[in-house]
Amino acid sequence: MGLHRYAFHAMAATNEVQVHAPDRPRAEAMAARAIEEVRRIEAKYSRYRPDSIVSRINAAAGAGPVAVDTETAQLLDYADACWRQSGGLFDATSGVLRRVWRFEAGRRPPTDAELATVLALIGWDRVERANGTVRLPVAGMELDFGGFGKEYAVDRAALVLREAGATSALVNLAGDLAILGEQPGGEPWRVAVQHPRREATALATLPVASGAIATSGDYERYLEADGVRHCHVLDPRTGRSARGFQSVTVHAPSCLVAGSASTIAMLEGHEAGLAWLEALGLPHLCVLSDGTLVDRFAPLSRG
Amino acid sequence: MAATDPGEDRTTRSGALGALMQAALALPILAVAARAGAAEVGEIGITTLGYKERGLMKVTEPVLWGRVQLAEVWEIEASGAVDIVTGASPELVTNLSGKPVQSVTGASINDRRTTGDVKVTRRFGDYALAASTARSNEEDYHSKSWAVEGRVDLNQRNTTLVASYGESHDHVGSSIDPTLNAPRDTREYLFGVTQILSPLDIVESTLTYSRGHGDYNDPYKLTLTFYPDQVLPTLLPDTRPDHRDMLAWLTRYRRHFPASDATLQAEYRYFHDDWGITAHTLEVGWEQRMGEHWAVRPGLRYYTQNAADFYAPVIPRPTPSVLSSDQRLGAFGGLSPSLRVTWRGGDGWKVEGTAGYVQDSASFRLGGNGSEAFATLRAVYGILTVSRAF
Repeated sequence: MGLHRYAFHAMAATNEVQVHAPDRPRAEAMAARAIEEVRRIEAKYSRYRPDSIVSRINAAAGAGPVAVDTETAQLLDYADACWRQSGGLFDATSGVLRRVWRFEAGRRPPTDAELATVLALIGWDRVERANGTVRLPVAGMELDFGGFGKEYAVDRAALVLREAGATSALVNLAGDLAILGEQPGGEPWRVAVQHPRREATALATLPVASGAIATSGDYERYLEADGVRHCHVLDPRTGRSARGFQSVTVHAPSCLVAGSASTIAMLEGHEAGLAWLEALGLPHLCVLSDGTLVDRFAPLSRG
Repeated sequence: MAATDPGEDRTTRSGALGALMQAALALPILAVAARAGAAEVGEIGITTLGYKERGLMKVTEPVLWGRVQLAEVWEIEASGAVDIVTGASPELVTNLSGKPVQSVTGASINDRRTTGDVKVTRRFGDYALAASTARSNEEDYHSKSWAVEGRVDLNQRNTTLVASYGESHDHVGSSIDPTLNAPRDTREYLFGVTQILSPLDIVESTLTYSRGHGDYNDPYKLTLTFYPDQVLPTLLPDTRPDHRDMLAWLTRYRRHFPASDATLQAEYRYFHDDWGITAHTLEVGWEQRMGEHWAVRPGLRYYTQNAADFYAPVIPRPTPSVLSSDQRLGAFGGLSPSLRVTWRGGDGWKVEGTAGYVQDSASFRLGGNGSEAFATLRAVYGILTVSRAF
């Protein structure tokens, strides 16, 4: 058994598959299938590809319903569960906020008037789903799988690895990752969590033997104006950036769940967010806006 | 249906995880709760081979082999086998009928061969050291060998270098000459590089040089030549040089095609020795996965070689000091199509069957001008392996 690592580019990021395998050809075959699965999901749910199911649904906004396959319908069911459990904070139609937000140095946050034009297009509750079809009722509305597509790809890639025979592997898509089994010898994998303020520095190294880790933070895409940081995690009700956390890292049985749990916590803000995570019962590691570290990873994973 | 008020389903916070998990589990992910402690650390299997050509039939009793990894840094591989060869082996090349032909003498041989080998590898981070030994015993052939190997992974394990040194000490006997007990010693040096070119393709190149000295004669091969101007024919036993230096260069390339879930496997081997033989082997295979459990691999191998300097089906005059009429030292080519079918079940079970056909003939030599006396060989073979990873 040896550890084989394969870096690859997908979803606008550098990603990695690591797999323990008896020989290189087997490792290579397993990794190739996982990478192919990530690329499949990227192509299927990309906003940038006019032929993707997402582009077709968005293009038909204000017009007729678009038939969707089972996988897409199930992902939308998941988005629906997130919307319900988060009290509407997690909204798969909030991608239109990108039209007025530009997370680049020197940019200003949008004005209330600018936000008002796109807030009118947000509302998961207005999305019509019936009989395997999806319809966006207002022209200009958009579905965006950005909030869960990558996490879903992590889970799928991990499943593909397991089906290909891997018993110890890791899938890392830009920091969101799934782990399949302990390393040979019973050792857990060591997952470094990015420090939200110090580049290329680990906030902590977590021992993880199974499940998935996802992080939401205010440090990847943001703009600063008048000394205030505006991050890309946006509240669909106000159109404004989430406040209260620099980063939220969650360990869950699935990356999809870890990702939505951390995103919802970011949107809930400091106190409500911590209460949400505690109620979920998932191990988490958070850095509050003032830099305070909240480490509730220990009880379950460091035992 | 449009979603309703988000708050109405948000009954209790403690139910939120259950609701999210339930929704997540409806998706085809199920990557949750990976089997704990199920890391693949070993494999055990049995392999049997059957081979049939005109007059010669060979069936191995199942080879039992295994591989186990201990504490991640140790790996032990071992196998053992008993072969039974039945059929007629002694061969005489004679020009009695006007042109040299190979004929099989009446003597029949039943032989039993026992073999065993073991290899132990210790890994030190990116370095690994291995030692191995093998034994093979037949009534008329005994072989003992050992080797040491060093391996280093570079470039984040995208490049692997391997070097090894081995010795083999053999004794050649004969069931028709009980007094024969001739030694043969070989030293082998190997250097190899494996390079991952991308997540989808990999190339491996290995250079092997070996120097041997001792008895290379085949006690079952005889040459009988009639001369028009000579009353009695000349009979010569197989007399080969007492040394052999060989160079082999093997390059393998594999490329995975995710869209078709298939792997191309290609390899080329160059061989040259100081007996004057130069040979080329090209093999191409296409491993096609068909769903979760099945894979098929059609393959085709082509082989061509020229004759050894001392190969002659007719004894020249004056009689040379070295001569062999063994047609395996002649010029010929071979084509071998094969088909392998693999089934992988759950729990690490694997069953693999290979069926192949071999045809060696003078006309298959590259350029077509093989040795005239080469008797076309046609054979079929089958290999069956059942294994289980644990």
